[in-house]
Amino acid sequence: MSLDLAPGERLGLIGENGAGKSSLMNVLYGLYHQDSGELAFDGAVARIRSPQDAIARGVGMVHQHFTLVPNLTVAENVVLGDEPTRGGLLDLEAAVRVVDETCKRLEFTLDPRERVDRLTVGSQQKVEIVKALRRGAKTIILDEPTAVLTPQETEDLFRITRQLSEGGATVVLITHKLKDVLAFATRIAVLRRGKKVAEVTPAETSPDQLAALMVGENVTNDVPAAALAATGDAFLTLEHVSAPGLNDISLDVRKGEILGIAGVDGNGQRELAEVVTGLRPFTHGVLKLGATHWKKLTPAQARASGVAHIPEDRLRRAIVGDMTVEENVALGRQHVAPFARGPFIDFAGRRERTTKLLETNDVRPLDPLARAGSLSGGNQQKLVVGRELDAKPKLLVVVQPTRGLDIAAVNAVRAKLRAEAAAGCAVLLVSLDLEELLALADRVVVMFEGRLNGTFARAACDELELGRRMLGAEA
Amino acid sequence: MRRALPSVLSVLIALLVSFIAAAFTLGDLGQAASAYLAMLQGAVGDWPRYFETGNPSTVLRPIGEAGTKAALLTLTGLSVAVAFRVGLFNIGAQGQMVVGALAAAFIGAQLQLPSPLHVTLALLAAALLGSCWALLATGLKLWRGVHEVISTIMLNWVAVSLVENWLVVGPLKATASGTNSLSGTAQIHATAELPRLVADYSRLNLGFFIAVALAVAVTVWMQRTRAGFESRAVGLAPKAAEAAGVPVARRVLQAMAVSGALAGLAGGTLILGTELKYPATLASPYGFDGIAIALIGQGHPLGALGTALVFGALRAGGTHMQLFGVHKSFPELIQGLALLLVAAKLFWERLVAKKPAAGGVT
Repeated sequence: MSLDLAPGERLGLIGENGAGKSSLMNVLYGLYHQDSGELAFDGAVARIRSPQDAIARGVGMVHQHFTLVPNLTVAENVVLGDEPTRGGLLDLEAAVRVVDETCKRLEFTLDPRERVDRLTVGSQQKVEIVKALRRGAKTIILDEPTAVLTPQETEDLFRITRQLSEGGATVVLITHKLKDVLAFATRIAVLRRGKKVAEVTPAETSPDQLAALMVGENVTNDVPAAALAATGDAFLTLEHVSAPGLNDISLDVRKGEILGIAGVDGNGQRELAEVVTGLRPFTHGVLKLGATHWKKLTPAQARASGVAHIPEDRLRRAIVGDMTVEENVALGRQHVAPFARGPFIDFAGRRERTTKLLETNDVRPLDPLARAGSLSGGNQQKLVVGRELDAKPKLLVVVQPTRGLDIAAVNAVRAKLRAEAAAGCAVLLVSLDLEELLALADRVVVMFEGRLNGTFARAACDELELGRRMLGAEA
Repeated sequence: MRRALPSVLSVLIALLVSFIAAAFTLGDLGQAASAYLAMLQGAVGDWPRYFETGNPSTVLRPIGEAGTKAALLTLTGLSVAVAFRVGLFNIGAQGQMVVGALAAAFIGAQLQLPSPLHVTLALLAAALLGSCWALLATGLKLWRGVHEVISTIMLNWVAVSLVENWLVVGPLKATASGTNSLSGTAQIHATAELPRLVADYSRLNLGFFIAVALAVAVTVWMQRTRAGFESRAVGLAPKAAEAAGVPVARRVLQAMAVSGALAGLAGGTLILGTELKYPATLASPYGFDGIAIALIGQGHPLGALGTALVFGALRAGGTHMQLFGVHKSFPELIQGLALLLVAAKLFWERLVAKKPAAGGVT
């Protein structure tokens, strides 16, 4: 792997999960060590043994998962680890001044005295950037920075980085979003299986070419859009449902339709999914599944009514890592055929169904006795999707189904969801990824602070308008 | 079977290390060997002597003692293992055993019934009271969020104080007959005694077979029924079990009720099989031993049974080591050492596993 970075440059580093993007940057930031080869700064070979060394060389990193202390203020977080002092005492006023100056320079607003946990994700990211700059960073590495941002926040971030690079800094953007890298970078490096396979400029490439370079074969990024599903009757109806984190929700999901729930992380989407699957009790309102009204719903009742659930938190909510694959396939239907016979487990029936399910869903390894926790994330998700669809659900509740999967797996999962809706299943899809919602959903509902803030048919979806609603703007 | 390997190795290494320790402290390899031989003969019988003399007591008595101890260890070991399966650490087997023992002593002495009915009723009472004692802690856990390790260990002391400092010296104290003063509760009626198998030679009683049958029953429950499957899922990943529609609280209550009942039965078996009354103090910490037995057996019911058989035998043999200057608690030392080795699980996994499994990288 050879790579060089020039001052004032914006490098986009793309590749699938496991392609080596993060490993490469972790070497640069001193978290990993190279087995061979060397790093040089301004032509001088340097050994970077720890993040401290990296910081001393002007490398700053904004991690995918922020490293801020939630109940300290912005200013306190920015100076943490290298606090200004006056007469031996902490000089917080100096810290506040630093933040104010940097914000003025980059034209963004941050209140240095606000507690970090009261900020939006986008603002928290800005705090990270300020923190890196204060340490004298000349090279800033952004690891998947747009995963949690709205389109507006993303644009804002790109504006800031452009400004930084015009001031002579080098910015590296690690991502697997093709759109972002094309909008952001002056140069794009594509990684595949730990190797740099191409280096291009945005002007001379296209999304299709980049996708092909990433996967090493020609794949289309999009599942062909199905014709808008014929509208059936509503299967799920919520009437004025409230619960902790949810405020007066009324919506319905019709048979054969994918209803997308958009929103910035933490605005009640997860709670909505939990209410519908019986995991979270609701305090007001009525939930209707088919023709049955529920004032209280348990997960077992939800399942018995035809609700299947593909949760966000695979390893905690969907899979028992220490059980075998076949035991996990039985989970949720452990009391019915072919998984049970009377009060006993039907071992033969379970094995047969599992083998079939692994084959049709291309789960690898094809071993019913493998420990589920030892499967890769993509295969675990294929297992969960296969299991939930195998129950022939009438309503499928899906939360962030493609998070952390590579393109091939993403396409496989999306195609399954499409096919399921086409076969008449009602699908409730929660995703933080607008692109995913626009690729799959027939209608999109925006959630903000636990309530609904607008419904859009797919044809009428405008990303910027969705983004405004996600941030709380009224119609 | 591969899973049992670390446990077997642990016990073997513990035996070996203890032997070396014994040889050092005795300063004589030969004497240590003799002590170990005595332990072996005390555990599985002195077969050479039997063939020489033809006296059945040379083998039946030791085996009977081993079986009697193994029965109690099996029951308390199962008790802890069942709780493990739903993810709870029941340190309260001792307390549950104490209340169970008292229940059996009470029914055994106070009621007059024909034999099979009397035994059954006394055992059921022991199981029921043990169960209630465990459910106290479980209820606190499920509805008040009290950690079961804290509540069960405190309930141990409540049980001991309640039973031994009040009931046994107060309301249930045996009435003195003639000039003899008696300690403990009144002697149970003969109809309540667990039938002995070879009464002339050994104290081995029906309790042993009850324990083995229950170990098999618990295995079937946990490994082959859907209720057991759900319970295991609750123990391994409660959130995933909940999402799959498993009634989590019900499974936890069920398992803890059974766990308490098994410990209570250990108490009942102890009273109806060998003690024949609740003594002034029940000096047998079988409930605490159950923790070690379950852990060495890796939380598996059959693992607990196997471990209990081994250590029941070693303990029966331990008393014979005294002739060679080794304290009779020596087998407990071996047990503790084996437990330590099993607890060092990572070490074994590295040694036994062929290769670390491929990581979960996408």
